[in-house]
Amino acid sequence: MNRPSPFSVRGRRALMVIRDEREIAIVRRQLGRLGMTITDYDPERTAPAEAVDVIVLDADLVPLEVDVAAVCQGDTPIIALVGTETPSRLKWLLDLQPASFLIKPLRSAGLYTALVVAFDSAQRRHDESLRTERLETRVRSRRIVSAAVQQVMRSQDVSEADAFALIRRAAMRQRLAIEQLSADILAGGGLPGRTTRSA
Amino acid sequence: MTRPAIPIGLVFSRSGPYGMMGGELHKAAVMAVDEVNQDDQFDFSFTPRLRDPRGVVAAYHTACDELIREERVDHIIGCYTSASRKQVIPIVERTERLLWYPARYEGFECSDNVIYVGAAPNHNVVPLVRHMLAQISDQVFCIGSNYIWTWETNRVIREIVGSAGGRILAERLLELGEIAVDHIVREIIERKPPVVFNTLVGESSYAFVRALHEAATRENLVIPMLSCSLCEPELKLIGSEASVGCVTSSAYFESIDRAENRGFVARWKARHGAESSPSVDGQSTYVSIMLLARAIRRAGSADVGAVKRAAANHRYQSPQGPVWVDPDNNHCFLTPRLAHSVPGCQFKIFWEADAPVRPDPYLAGLDLASIGKLNKVNDVMTRNVTTKSANHLRIVK
Repeated sequence: MNRPSPFSVRGRRALMVIRDEREIAIVRRQLGRLGMTITDYDPERTAPAEAVDVIVLDADLVPLEVDVAAVCQGDTPIIALVGTETPSRLKWLLDLQPASFLIKPLRSAGLYTALVVAFDSAQRRHDESLRTERLETRVRSRRIVSAAVQQVMRSQDVSEADAFALIRRAAMRQRLAIEQLSADILAGGGLPGRTTRSA
Repeated sequence: MTRPAIPIGLVFSRSGPYGMMGGELHKAAVMAVDEVNQDDQFDFSFTPRLRDPRGVVAAYHTACDELIREERVDHIIGCYTSASRKQVIPIVERTERLLWYPARYEGFECSDNVIYVGAAPNHNVVPLVRHMLAQISDQVFCIGSNYIWTWETNRVIREIVGSAGGRILAERLLELGEIAVDHIVREIIERKPPVVFNTLVGESSYAFVRALHEAATRENLVIPMLSCSLCEPELKLIGSEASVGCVTSSAYFESIDRAENRGFVARWKARHGAESSPSVDGQSTYVSIMLLARAIRRAGSADVGAVKRAAANHRYQSPQGPVWVDPDNNHCFLTPRLAHSVPGCQFKIFWEADAPVRPDPYLAGLDLASIGKLNKVNDVMTRNVTTKSANHLRIVK
């Protein structure tokens, strides 16, 4: 898969959820220098009109003035602009799971780093959630594999290790996941390609 | 007639590890200040306040702090390395002063309180890599000093060469100031790469260029070398014979054939001797002070905000050609040029951009896809040099 490098930010789109005019000007100018395009937040709209790659969000607006749920669509990374560092405010910030942050007052230095870290961490989060999903599926199907192993042990009169080896070999032959073949064994009542001995 | 005196800070390391270059920048700054002070077109004069941080990074902070608090300067011209610039930026940002930074650097910075007068990476590294791909090879051996300039230049080379389907054959780094270069020269002679990209600085570079020239001559090899930093005074330090044949990218060469440059070089030689040569960074320091003087004249004040507004988009016919500040990013429009070093410690320019090029400190406009395509076209037309270059290069000599 050809994934975009987190260092190349040109052409990516940012949603700006910022109130302060000076900060808006700084972010807008710096994003322009980096070749990014900008969508302004419209509080009248319930969701952003177009997909964005990153959200630059003034954490001092949260939770009063912004419908965070409407702004934070999916797993778009958030760069939080932090002014107030009190624990109560930071708690809101943590709930947003920001991918990176900048301390106010803003300067032009820092935004590029925040973007690169945000894009990189969004990619890592995405990879990790895929991996977690895969592992969860495997954990869930362990019960099925173990039931299939039990069945083959009984039907073939073999040890647990040999039963698992038989299933694994059959899965490889049929180009199926072990979990899938195990489900087939349980549904069809035996190892494929073998005469099932009656119990 | 007494003209109001405006104090300006000149911060150059005339001693220490890069004292030679700092001295060149300082000489150019003093020359520019004298010219402004003798020019009736300006109804003010500059009083230079000199500081020499001796190449000690922390000393830049102290020097600028003193200049601002005690000498009351609004404008500081100086710094050569990125490390020194990074020391000064927090002070000028906090106190709303302006640093005029003359050196070319690796980009990826854009302070509101710095005017970047030297080349951005799209002015020097990119044209040189494109030239390498189009005319020499897409297989390159990189050698450089182990610091930010080399790291970032190598990253750009890798990105462009990679997207064109080429290959970095090796990336060798030497510590700053290291002159033990024989093992790398030996490796180059053994591997015979089609081209060497040299981002070494100072004594390391001079030692390497001399040693490679000697070894290649002995072995009867011709290995082209590329650089985006060599300048005329350095060619003299390398030596007349060994310094020949290096393809160099720069916005300024002493050999630029313009009336403004002929006058500049003549005045330089009158001050510093017929054998001396202005360097790219020296000329850029001179340009910095001229841009500042013109902006103050237009603004009617040395106030930082007014000077920035007055400097924006105002064209100055400098020795290197028209130069002006892009208010979008505080860097300058400059004309990229490529040249060969020739006998006599001079450069012969063989290409220059059609017009001054917009600075792009973040390389946001770098179109890798088109470079890749260009290279594929070149594979087909390897015999036709003129057609190859027509895509993006204009031969001027």
